[in-house]
Amino acid sequence: MTGARLLRGAIGAAGFLVVAELVIRFGVSGRLDFPAPSAILLEAVRLPADPEFMAGVGTTLTNWVFGLLIATLIAVPVGVLLGALSPLERAVRPLLEFMRPIPSVAIIPLAILLIPVDELMKISVIVYASVWPILINTLYGMHDVDPLAKESLRSFGFGPLAVLTRVSLPSAAPFVATGVRIAAGIALVLAVSAELLAGGFNGIGVFVTVAGSGNRTDLMMAATFWAGVIGVLANVLLMAGERRLFHWHRMRTGATES
Amino acid sequence: MTRKLRCHAIVLGVTVALTLAGCGSSGTPETSANSNGLEKTTITVGALPIPDPVSLYIANAKGFFKEEGLTVTPKIITGGAAAIPAIENGSLDISQTNYVSTFLAVSQGKKIKLVADMYQAAPNTFNIMVPKDSPIKTVADLKGKTVLVNNLKNIATLATTSQLKVAGLAETDVKFVEKPFPEMGNAIVSGQADAGWITEPFITANQSQHGFRKLADTMTGQTADLPIAGWMATEEWASKYPKTLAAFQRAIAKAQQLASSDRKEIEAMLPKYTKIDAKTASVITLGAYPSELNANRLQKVADLMLEYGYLENPIDVKSVIAAPAASG
Repeated sequence: MTGARLLRGAIGAAGFLVVAELVIRFGVSGRLDFPAPSAILLEAVRLPADPEFMAGVGTTLTNWVFGLLIATLIAVPVGVLLGALSPLERAVRPLLEFMRPIPSVAIIPLAILLIPVDELMKISVIVYASVWPILINTLYGMHDVDPLAKESLRSFGFGPLAVLTRVSLPSAAPFVATGVRIAAGIALVLAVSAELLAGGFNGIGVFVTVAGSGNRTDLMMAATFWAGVIGVLANVLLMAGERRLFHWHRMRTGATES
Repeated sequence: MTRKLRCHAIVLGVTVALTLAGCGSSGTPETSANSNGLEKTTITVGALPIPDPVSLYIANAKGFFKEEGLTVTPKIITGGAAAIPAIENGSLDISQTNYVSTFLAVSQGKKIKLVADMYQAAPNTFNIMVPKDSPIKTVADLKGKTVLVNNLKNIATLATTSQLKVAGLAETDVKFVEKPFPEMGNAIVSGQADAGWITEPFITANQSQHGFRKLADTMTGQTADLPIAGWMATEEWASKYPKTLAAFQRAIAKAQQLASSDRKEIEAMLPKYTKIDAKTASVITLGAYPSELNANRLQKVADLMLEYGYLENPIDVKSVIAAPAASG
């Protein structure tokens, strides 16, 4: 990211905040008790010093990381397997296409009923939601493997396993990484949603619920703000990782920096 | 950003994430050394972040549970109805519940026992409120209007319906819409509804922020001193852990006595487990904190539910109450 780009982004964000501040302070919604952005930001700055909030952030992040990790461990092998065996893929496709669009938040009540251990329940929900983008991206990656490269290897007498590890997997890896990055955002949404719907000992969502108990809309928004920041940071981190690992892919496909 | 700087940023980010992740696991409860022959010394108890379950936190802070050899870990729940699957699958040992949810669940065949009382209505603890300049002057004016409640088919609609009846209206004469308490004020101000069934600290908040006025106290007449919330466990849990249950009951009863005799104890505790600040805690209207489960008082709730069609068959509340704690 260049300095000029950063500056432009900062100006955009600051402009939005100023407009929102003016609208809330003097505008039509003046009768509502929605906190002004300045009040929310003030609380947001204070929150990292709040041990209760930070314990919650720790719990949410732990569930999130574990959920994403398990989802990756499930989705990648399944995606590779389905991608390598097209008859199997054709058999499973309808089921995948049916399960994928089910809103993951809707399965939270079912998960509460079925899984007695709080963390396990939340991680399961996160896994369910984040398996799909990784699986589908892995599948696309497997389809995108250069057939000529596969054929060349075969004609030199390499077996299917060698073709998989030397051509298919490296070629699909950037797609997998993109899937993981997309899943990371979804997983964070589910980590917080599960806490909002099911409660818990602590967590960002639990903190938001408790903040509501005292009519502290500013605190609720400040905690939500941090959830957003964590999501952005995760995206930046994963994107940087992708760029380092797969710079050859970007050059090959000619994708520009996004 | 240079390459080196970027590397540092990543390392920093990962370190922060790992450090934060480490914080989360520090909350594991320690097992109590003094077991008093209890079948289970560490229990998880579900509670809402509202004034009702204050005794749970008082009992913990004053060491009443410790004296019984019990380690109690409170867990935030999102509602009485949502807590029923949690006690059924064992993720909670005991949970806060509202009596309407409990009796509804019992009528559906759920094996639930009430184990201790928690909260009882007092005047002005659950009010119907309207904006200051609202044309609605009496409960009868609510005909055809939209009223916000925290849950449909619950104590909110039951209590409101009992007031409508006094005014010559039926439940179907108003439109009930579900909305969480913190959002009711803004929803009414922005015209989404005409009135709201509101409890503390939101009665006080809406009075001071929006100038809302009280249209009716819903805890009068048939619903005067209505029992609101209690502690529940499954029948199986109560019979499997009788000594643990008795220890819990003794400690809670002690804390209830303290709460009902000294409001300052409640005011000191509220800011610690809710986000109700000390100033608000000192002015909000609180209900009563009875220290024993009384079947006669609770029967009133079940009877009202039958009268207003929440129950199809009468419930004998005595059968829903777990055997009383041995004195100790």
